[in-house]
Amino acid sequence: MSSTIEGFGLGLRSEHYGDFRATRQRVDWLEVISENYLVDGGKPLHFLESIRQDYPMVMHGVSLSIGSSDALDTDYLRQLRRLADRIEPAWVSDHLCWTGTRSLNLHDLLPLPYNVATLQHLTPRIAQVQDVLGRALVIENVSSYVRYRADEMSEWEFIRELVSRTGCELLLDVNNVYVSSVNHGFDAQDFIDAMPASAVRQIHLAGHEDHGQYIIDTHDHPICEAVWDLYAYTVRRLGRLPTMIERDDNIPPLHELIDELDVARSVAQAALNERKRAA
Amino acid sequence: MVLAELQRRFQEAVLGGNPLPDLFAGEEEGLAGGFDLYLQAYRSRLAAALRDNFPVLHRALGDDAFSTLAGAYIREHPSRFRSIRWFGDSLTDFIARFPERVGHPALLDLARMDWAMRAAFDAADSAATKLPDLAALHADEWPEHRFHLMPSLQILDLTWAVEPLWKALNDDAEARTEEPQIQEHALLIWRPALDCCWRSAEAGEAAALRALGESENFAHWCAALAKAGEPEPAMAAATLLRRWVEEGLLAKSAVPV
Ligand SMILES: [Fe+2]
Repeated sequence: MSSTIEGFGLGLRSEHYGDFRATRQRVDWLEVISENYLVDGGKPLHFLESIRQDYPMVMHGVSLSIGSSDALDTDYLRQLRRLADRIEPAWVSDHLCWTGTRSLNLHDLLPLPYNVATLQHLTPRIAQVQDVLGRALVIENVSSYVRYRADEMSEWEFIRELVSRTGCELLLDVNNVYVSSVNHGFDAQDFIDAMPASAVRQIHLAGHEDHGQYIIDTHDHPICEAVWDLYAYTVRRLGRLPTMIERDDNIPPLHELIDELDVARSVAQAALNERKRAA
Repeated sequence: MVLAELQRRFQEAVLGGNPLPDLFAGEEEGLAGGFDLYLQAYRSRLAAALRDNFPVLHRALGDDAFSTLAGAYIREHPSRFRSIRWFGDSLTDFIARFPERVGHPALLDLARMDWAMRAAFDAADSAATKLPDLAALHADEWPEHRFHLMPSLQILDLTWAVEPLWKALNDDAEARTEEPQIQEHALLIWRPALDCCWRSAEAGEAAALRALGESENFAHWCAALAKAGEPEPAMAAATLLRRWVEEGLLAKSAVPV
């Protein structure tokens, strides 16, 4: 089983299991939603293991709830570890968010207040996760639609500080940066500029829905021009990074996503050329 | 404000549909940014999970009636699950308490069938016992031999014959269907390999199958069949075993693989 994550990947969705099993696809690696495979048996695990034979994988979770005021769910962490032992992902990621408190789950990636108290709350928790997983946790920036009065710093300042305190790594979702920059009126390039380059492991690209005043991170559309531009900017700043497209709804035939991945390849290549010229 | 208090207030506001929880920049002017997007997303995400878990009930009720049911359930049963895949575990109880929630009492059984099919889909795997495994048992090993049910097997006691309705709507959302009839019986749902199976069964067969799963060994099971009034328990046992093995209802060992 190869484990090197390089180039351009996709999120594995059950709609495409058949395509990935039928023939080798022009996809360098796959990201799988951990929760979809924290089950006892049946088709999900069967197809996962069979597709894993042919593609390097990373695991991406949605319910770690690293920022919740509840204690971390140690059963969940053990399950994650077991799944990781089984499929040997190159890394395990989840989101910089909370999903619920008092034992409830709102099943959403809710933003945290960006302040010192939250940093202090997160630091031992990230250490605990990294301990159980036996590796660095990769954390993704979420898109958001609110700003707390309790915020003391920008999201990017918060993320920088988090990386330096915990040694966590980053999954930079370029679409989320764009969505939040429009929703909150900041300059998306400031966010990218602040990212500690050596900590960024992976990039997410996705489509969203434009509702005028707010942009909603729906993952059900092709990637828009502004996000391609921001991706090019990101590659110019941070260099070559494993990049993938997330599509969670309105899932098209696989070849359409592979075509979109080709756009990512060419945008990245052009940006890398510019980066080289500038250097 | 400490984080726990901020999250408690945020969560209460989402659960209660309160658009102004006094947490966000802009609320002084009556605008909590895009907080209403979280309120909508919460309800629509959980309703979508219920549609996924009860696909045939959704088709039977139609969008409007299903979304009314889902909305009422979501209000009463906030999720305690890590994975949204399990959301809806109490929907059948919720319907059973107030059957008028679904219009026709047979739809409770339809919902139970949906949930059990979903459960069988990703239940633990096990290799199935095959006929050659039985043939390989020596005569003196039979009395002590312990049989195991497939870990995915569920035996439902239904009041209505909902299987034709379930099948018709599962195959075709627009299917013309007939009203189910009252008929006490059992429904077996299991997964011999990757695909789920189901079939209806008489109450007697279901009782014998449950007894096999609970019996310490074959001899005890035959005794249980005799006690249940079976005049020729050994013959009946052989016939039932053969059928169940052919259908993949029995597991090779107690430990899922
Ligand atoms: Fe993402």
